[in-house]
Amino acid sequence: MKSSLMHLVPPVSRDRIISQFPKWYTPEACLQFKEHFHAQVRAACQRSTGTVGLKLSKVVVVGDLYVGKTSLINRFCKDNFDRDYKATIGVDFEIERFEIVGVPYNLQIWDTAGQEKFKCIASAYYRGAEVIITVFDLADIQTLDHTKQWLEDALRENEPDSSFIFLVGTKKDLVSDAVCERTELDAIRFANEMQAEYWSVSAKTGENVKEFFSRVAALAFEQSMIKELEKTSGRMAQIGAGNLIKLEKNLMEIPEGNTQASLSCC
Amino acid sequence: MQRRREEEEEGGGEGEEEDGPESALAKSPFQLTAADVYDISYVVGRDLLQLGGGPAVPAAVARLQFRIVRVLEMLEALVSGGGGAAEGRLRAERDGLRQEVEALRDAAARGSAQQLSLGPDKAVIDLTDPDRPRFTLQELREVLQERNQLKAQLLVVQEELQCYKSGIISQKRDQTEKLETESSGNDPGTSKDSKDKTIMKRLFSFKHGK
Repeated sequence: MKSSLMHLVPPVSRDRIISQFPKWYTPEACLQFKEHFHAQVRAACQRSTGTVGLKLSKVVVVGDLYVGKTSLINRFCKDNFDRDYKATIGVDFEIERFEIVGVPYNLQIWDTAGQEKFKCIASAYYRGAEVIITVFDLADIQTLDHTKQWLEDALRENEPDSSFIFLVGTKKDLVSDAVCERTELDAIRFANEMQAEYWSVSAKTGENVKEFFSRVAALAFEQSMIKELEKTSGRMAQIGAGNLIKLEKNLMEIPEGNTQASLSCC
Repeated sequence: MQRRREEEEEGGGEGEEEDGPESALAKSPFQLTAADVYDISYVVGRDLLQLGGGPAVPAAVARLQFRIVRVLEMLEALVSGGGGAAEGRLRAERDGLRQEVEALRDAAARGSAQQLSLGPDKAVIDLTDPDRPRFTLQELREVLQERNQLKAQLLVVQEELQCYKSGIISQKRDQTEKLETESSGNDPGTSKDSKDKTIMKRLFSFKHGK
């Protein structure tokens, strides 16, 4: 009906089409074991032909500086890797389009600065995160210790139990298999305490990167579908009824109320 | 460093440093001579002059503070038993001098900030440094927001461009009369330009149309 507002998009690339639920990395730190999408979600997706608009989930990536947050996102969204370190200023974002069980779906991935001086800018973007990805460097164990603080900061801006949490060890290519396994033991313990799902990845080689984000997208998609089904219980779920991508400026703005609150932190 | 040297001077006593005017400060107040008082006066005066500026200011302030306190302690010792009124006056005078030294120290800190170590919540900005910080957090916030909005629009434009390239949009738009009127007069040579215009128009309508 509001076709003038609809943004026409090219077809989703083949490797962003998800029909089977992507598998976890390790069963020892895993958010769910199911191999299929929820039956109700599947059914709702099949009913939703002629979708108007697109569903969008917000993902926030946090962690120490130089652990490779930007590299991880760039490997997935642009399939490239830059050897040179360039600190992220404040925040950046990418939008990645998927098609999950036949339904167009977008991840809005917020890349935050790890440098302390940008914390009060970046933290204003934590609110409303459906997924929180805490990142550490497998070759620098201290950065793992700091993930708890990063998560705490991100959770403070969100409703309790409203976000999926992931713990990701990066630079897998830089450590030997033995070191990686040893560090993973610690990381899995951390992940369990944080109620997070654990993944080891390498942005440089691309190992596990696509698998990881597919898992993120699938979990977030199913969750938001279930929420929508609950909201419209009785009525037929109308996919895309909420959270339309709009070109209006509010998409990129700090959520309301946050600007004021964050002023006091600096 | 400076402190330690002062202590050495004080502890070293009459022996090897008798010649220097500073040694007068190390003496017992009851053994002071007129010459000693002139020495002290010279030392204090010299330090006061150094407060005028230059890299030695912080050290000079510290030294001066130490010396004035020492002088006042001597005076205090000399007049002790000399009656409550005199003692009270001297105390007031000492406190006044202390305040003055503090004020001087602050002034020196402002004047030659780069030489002073400031508190943990302070930073030094070299106004001649072309790379010095000069924008506020709020300004950075605004620039980032604007950048994010522009990037969002760019993503939309890129996707639409891809649609044009693959022919998706022109097919759909053929069904609307608007496109027909817009594209009717086009020859192949100018078609690219007009397509770009259409994207911009569409973008524009996104912004203002709702």
